[in-house]
Amino acid sequence: MAEEMLLTDDFLRQLINVGEVDILVGLRTHNNADTIEPVIRAIQTGILQCFPRERVVIVNADGGSQDKTPELIVGASIDDVWSVSKVYALRTLHSISTRYATSPEPGTALRTILAAADLLHAKACVVFSPDSTTIEPDWLQRLVRPVYNDNFDLVSPIYRRQKFEGALIQNLLYPMTRAIYGYRVREPYASEFAISGRLASDFLNKESWNDESSRLGAEIHLTIAALTGTYRVCQSFLGPKARDRSAGDLVAAMRRTVGALFSSLDSDFPLWSTISGSQPVPTLGAQSEVVMEPARVNRKRLREMFATGVAQLEPVFRSILSESTLSELQRIATLEVSEFNYPADLWAKTVFEFAASYHKSVISRDHIVQALVPLYRGRTLTFLLENRDGSGEDIERNSESLCADFELLKPYLLEVWADRK
Amino acid sequence: MLLKGQAGWYKDAIIYQVHVRSFSDSNGDGIGDFQGLAQRLDYVQELGVSAIWVMPFCPSPLRDDGYDISDYRSVHPSYGTLEDFKAFLLGAHDRGIRVIIEMVANHTSDQHPWFLESRASRDNPKRDWYVWSDTDTGYRGTRIIFLDTEMSNWAWDPISKSYYWHRFFSHQPDLNYDNPAVREEMWNVMKFWLELGVDGFRLDAVPYLIEREGTSCENLPETHEVIRELRKKVDDQFPGAMLLAEANQWPADLRPYFGNADEFHMAFHFPLMPRMFMGLRLEDRKPITEILQQTPEIPASCQWCLFLRNHDELTLEMVTDIERDYMYDLYARDKAMRLNLGIRRRLAPLLDNDRRRIELMNGMLMSLPGTPIIYYGDEIGMGDNVYLGDRHGVRTPMQWSGGWNGGFSTADPESLYSPPILNPVYGYQAVNVLSQKRSEHSLLSWMKHIIQIRRSSPVFGSGSIEFLYPANHRVLAYVRQLGKDTVLVVNNLSSAAQAVELDLRRYKGNILIEMFGRNVFPRIGDLPYLLTMGPYQFYWFRLRRI
Amino acid sequence: MREIIITELTQAFQDLLRGFAHYLPRLIVMLIIAFVGWMIAYLLKVLVHSILRLTKFSKLSENAGATQLLNQAALPSSTELLSRFVFWVAWVGFILLGVSVLGIVGLQEYISEFFLFLPRLFVALVILFFGLLAASFFSRAALLAAVNVNFRSSRLLSISIRIIISIFALSMVFEVLGVAKETMLITFGTVFGAVMLSLAIAFGIGGKDVAREFLEKKIVTGKKEEKEDELSPL
Repeated sequence: MAEEMLLTDDFLRQLINVGEVDILVGLRTHNNADTIEPVIRAIQTGILQCFPRERVVIVNADGGSQDKTPELIVGASIDDVWSVSKVYALRTLHSISTRYATSPEPGTALRTILAAADLLHAKACVVFSPDSTTIEPDWLQRLVRPVYNDNFDLVSPIYRRQKFEGALIQNLLYPMTRAIYGYRVREPYASEFAISGRLASDFLNKESWNDESSRLGAEIHLTIAALTGTYRVCQSFLGPKARDRSAGDLVAAMRRTVGALFSSLDSDFPLWSTISGSQPVPTLGAQSEVVMEPARVNRKRLREMFATGVAQLEPVFRSILSESTLSELQRIATLEVSEFNYPADLWAKTVFEFAASYHKSVISRDHIVQALVPLYRGRTLTFLLENRDGSGEDIERNSESLCADFELLKPYLLEVWADRK
Repeated sequence: MLLKGQAGWYKDAIIYQVHVRSFSDSNGDGIGDFQGLAQRLDYVQELGVSAIWVMPFCPSPLRDDGYDISDYRSVHPSYGTLEDFKAFLLGAHDRGIRVIIEMVANHTSDQHPWFLESRASRDNPKRDWYVWSDTDTGYRGTRIIFLDTEMSNWAWDPISKSYYWHRFFSHQPDLNYDNPAVREEMWNVMKFWLELGVDGFRLDAVPYLIEREGTSCENLPETHEVIRELRKKVDDQFPGAMLLAEANQWPADLRPYFGNADEFHMAFHFPLMPRMFMGLRLEDRKPITEILQQTPEIPASCQWCLFLRNHDELTLEMVTDIERDYMYDLYARDKAMRLNLGIRRRLAPLLDNDRRRIELMNGMLMSLPGTPIIYYGDEIGMGDNVYLGDRHGVRTPMQWSGGWNGGFSTADPESLYSPPILNPVYGYQAVNVLSQKRSEHSLLSWMKHIIQIRRSSPVFGSGSIEFLYPANHRVLAYVRQLGKDTVLVVNNLSSAAQAVELDLRRYKGNILIEMFGRNVFPRIGDLPYLLTMGPYQFYWFRLRRI
Repeated sequence: MREIIITELTQAFQDLLRGFAHYLPRLIVMLIIAFVGWMIAYLLKVLVHSILRLTKFSKLSENAGATQLLNQAALPSSTELLSRFVFWVAWVGFILLGVSVLGIVGLQEYISEFFLFLPRLFVALVILFFGLLAASFFSRAALLAAVNVNFRSSRLLSISIRIIISIFALSMVFEVLGVAKETMLITFGTVFGAVMLSLAIAFGIGGKDVAREFLEKKIVTGKKEEKEDELSPL
């Protein structure tokens, strides 16, 4: 029913004209005119170099751009690539665009792309970020080939990152997903990934699209659906990660990721409650890479926001956290930057208590997610301090240690979940 | 005598390519001949074609199927006599069918008396009739055409102890067109046949007539000079005779062969042909529209020659590496099918004997701008035999009936010049003229019908072409126009049913009349014209305003 | 004399008995109505209790902050309270109905006024409940938002919002009940207007730079300012 609303008559007509495809490339855009052209060129070059015989379509789901982003995508002819890359286009490459809404809704955009992939019987569907200024033509085949040739259902990316970038993923999303679902997927929330046509169809037909949190955090739900279903998952190393444009808005990022992750725990409880430990997923290329570029971080500000949060949100935390956890946090809030330490096990406990409170809806679920933000800042500070002088191996070791804490404390989650604590 | 007719007859012609040796044997020696060919003229007339192109029939050691000529003014004894040829020519003309013969201008057989004289000594008067050198380093960088068999374009002659130039087989030395005597003599040869009454020549291997150091030795200005000379003589002395260039080049390089309507009348559009096959497999019109977009305008009196298959391999010289790999993978997985950067298969086996695809390809052949050539046997869907070596697999005996030797000859089967096709799918018992004549729905009957429709309108031969680019890339659509005559052609290149919306607002108010069934389709309005098409289906619509 | 007294007393006693006999059926009816009403009220209480439990009303009440308030006032839970309220309203209603059967002049009018008042009382309670709910929700939302942008006076902002919404709800309640209607409206209007005006002045004078930055970010697309010290979390 909702799928009919997704596909406007005009978009449907465009899909009819495209016909069946082998590979569908999805781009979710909103005012990305300043970065989209090199992304498109890289995709087109990747298609010509690695999939010259395949039937490919680029589908743009646009959330009301005012800067002619869709026109740039549709207007980029693959024959222009010839003059740059000297690679010849054997087939017509379609680039089509639809405006799915007047303001961006990433979940709806993804759903539009999946609907197109389903209708066109795409064997592989790959989604790229329109901000991916570091993209190379090779990324296409690194994501698509495992699906297209090796029958994987989900290919999650691995990036080369500045060592402190992606703290939310490193400190929360990755360890928690790993502990809960038992698979070591480093980027459970990825803006670039590839999925099989089978997974796209199955995910598209899930009931949970009507749920607000599912739409907001569709990427995490997709990863979880792949991990919990009968699908084959792998990871593929791509290259440097471009900075996420929405980086400044931490609350929005938490809603999309942590909120979605917490909400998934309700429906998947019978499955994850029986899982212990974790196993690696097949990885193509490097497991992880960091670059030691310096980063300017205002540590005092982080500590201050943590301390302010702990103090000001005490009434809220009383509904969410246990006495012991709260008092420990209050103790840490008194520490100066130089002595600051938010231990990994306490952080894991904090996250689990938040997850349990989310499950029980002790207060508004959205407020629970927001309340976690200042505590996350505190954990980020510890993450920065721990790894300040560390090498890539040191960071990896610390990350493993954090993940181990999450896995060890999983029984605690089960207890607070069932109100046994 | 030339068949009388209007100038530019070749623009509306439909040409049937035959090899005398392969067509029909009248005397039971296992080799086709002119008497046999003459006996089959009724068939050719019924088919509906307007011209026959006869492959080389002059005396020859037959080491290259007759393209190695040892006497330009006679007929190979296996095929009959000069009188037999004249009788055939007369019979053709009586039926309104013109005759085009080969002129292998670039080279002769090494058994030709000219070469035998030339090689006899360095002082021989005919020494300069060929291209000689003391070393084999001249014209370095010139590509080798027969890659599978030749290592060099120079061959050592042990008699005159020097090298001679050959762009094809080493037993086919190139004539030296820098020598006026050669040009004069070749004109005399052409004149000989023109005086007998042939209507035109297919000049074989014209790009290679002249060589120059530091060039590719192809398409040189001096070559064009030779051609202009020939053309002038033809026009002056035999107006109405036609010259057809065999030049396997990119469209832009082919254009000069038309000159200012003072060189060839026609030229084969080699690059289009593999792209038609490619477009069909890709289910994408892109290869076809792109090559035609790159095809330059030619003088109004000139014409492209289109073909699907011929006596040679399906050449993949004029495609990119990626396209060649694609064609090999899709059409010639078995390496035995590949030869000299090409694929040596007939039309029906290339298309998996799929009647729909055969019809579609012929539909495009008949409706794209140019004069179509039908290779003998393709009108009944003959098969091939890739194991016969060289290009012999596509030159097997014509299959007339399911009887003895497929009706080709009364000789012992073992004595035939080539074994016929015998397998249950393409063998003469399954595929032959007699059985197809008995069915209204056979491929032969269909070919006759489409030829008839094609000939019903001059728009196909002489009209302009404008491509439509509907959003559905699986559909190739174009409009042919000549004066008030407008035909819309829509081809579904896909193996699946397709819907296509065509922007025909320019033709608003016209009704469409489908030319095969003559049924009326709805009038064109302001909205895009929706057509739904079955797999590999095509439409020819005549537009009419009433 | 004695006989007159006896006669009068007898007469009076007879009158009393007659009066009693006259009212006794009505009294019996009243008691029956009250008893039946009690049973119905009890059934209603049980029904309401079950409905509220099924719809997880206690959670809503917790979110509203009502549970905490009730706990502090040593009152039973909101579900229990509401069920009891329904019980008492129903039973009092039946009792009053029974009393009306007695036919006491003047009482009818008060009884009908009471019944007319009940819907307004119910609406007022609903307004109060949702008002408290909204106050709790929005104050917490404001607190979280303010804390997350490092706004210094987050608590103050949160409490202010809670008070304003609560006062707004209360004034609506009083208006619905018809108690000191005009006084409450004027008071609320005055206080609210004064608060808003002072906030506007404070923001306009002291926060104009912040306002400009905020508007620039929201209206001018294309330029995204990155905070130098903000690492990408994703």
